[in-house]
Amino acid sequence: MIEVNNLSFARGNILIYKDINFKISPGELLLVSGANGVGKTTLLSNIVNFTEPLEGNITYHGTSIDNHIASECFLYIGENNFAYDTLTLNQNIDYWLSVHNVNFDKSIKNKSVNFLFQELNLDKKFYQLSFGQKKKLQLLLLILVNKPVWILDDPYSGLDTRSITKINTLFKKKLENKGIIIVASHQKINLRNYKTLQLT
Amino acid sequence: MIKNFFKLIANEFKLMLKGSVFSFVLFCLLIIACSIFSLSLRNESMGMNAPLSFLYIMIFFISLFKVEKIYSLDFDEAKLQQYILSPFSLEIIVFVKNMMIYLNLIIFFVIFSPLILIILNIDLSYLIQINILLSLSLLSIIFIASMTASITISKNNKLSLTSILTLPLFVPILIFSMAITDVIDFNTNKMYLFFVAYFLLNLAFSPLLTSFALKKLSV
Repeated sequence: MIEVNNLSFARGNILIYKDINFKISPGELLLVSGANGVGKTTLLSNIVNFTEPLEGNITYHGTSIDNHIASECFLYIGENNFAYDTLTLNQNIDYWLSVHNVNFDKSIKNKSVNFLFQELNLDKKFYQLSFGQKKKLQLLLLILVNKPVWILDDPYSGLDTRSITKINTLFKKKLENKGIIIVASHQKINLRNYKTLQLT
Repeated sequence: MIKNFFKLIANEFKLMLKGSVFSFVLFCLLIIACSIFSLSLRNESMGMNAPLSFLYIMIFFISLFKVEKIYSLDFDEAKLQQYILSPFSLEIIVFVKNMMIYLNLIIFFVIFSPLILIILNIDLSYLIQINILLSLSLLSIIFIASMTASITISKNNKLSLTSILTLPLFVPILIFSMAITDVIDFNTNKMYLFFVAYFLLNLAFSPLLTSFALKKLSV
């Protein structure tokens, strides 16, 4: 369970948000929504321990989240792309899986790639991909890196409706396996039950 | 974990090879700079001190440029977030990246060094000594430059000025590099031990400080 108590965050002298409280249990999804600049991305950064809050605390199963817990349990997909332009799609996948210490079977990797990309030449350079395809490479980590908590910043941006459906399928499976998902997005999620946190 | 660590090293090596074009351009600029230096002082009898000092200063600048470029590309916010969440600590990733930058520069230097020595009118019998001494000093230069780069690439422009604080750390390397030119005979010269000691000192704190600066200033 992730529990956030009285969380406040300030950047310089500007207070971004104050007294945020919520709890998410295994098998639950939280949608963080709100207008631009209200601090959705900042809240996610706080949860993953990239930035420290001004006040309040965040716990995962009763323990304060530190770098060790974050690297063991959290998979974070931000809004910006992390892949290397000079590497091919295949090389990028290999690189980021080795960074995340994932040993994978080649057939599993190919199945996952086919699930998201269908027919795509994996020897294409990353910069040759479209915006949506680049986004899908990031989301490929959701399938290949096994961590109990997914924290996703605007995962639907640039994706076509077919890909959005596939991502929602991944969400469903993750929740069935008692995973936790936190999504910051302007879009509503096409799932039956999820919690919403509206930032103002 | 160890298997993936070696896989990471192999992948970093591939990345380093892809970034070799920039190193090649830098070393071509070094050759041009050396040629201008030699031509402008063709009527002076310089001995070995002045050309070697020039070479050291140029290599120092090349290292700074290279490290700065790699750090701004490889540690942008999105990549850095993934590195922070990696089971490998950021210090290890910084260390691997620094070693790859070092390897890249030293390979180019070894390839270009005969040509550089000829242009600078330095006796080629000193080729091996100069290569060994430069490869030892370059280790420390890269690790100190990584601290400088981690601060200068920060999002906070005011703090990026504090990278000047790391510059004095280069001074001992440059002083000893110049002193070495007085006693170039490798058999009688034990100054290279200074570079080994200084590198070990840097190895102890540089990855820690670099990753700390990256975490605090760039995410």
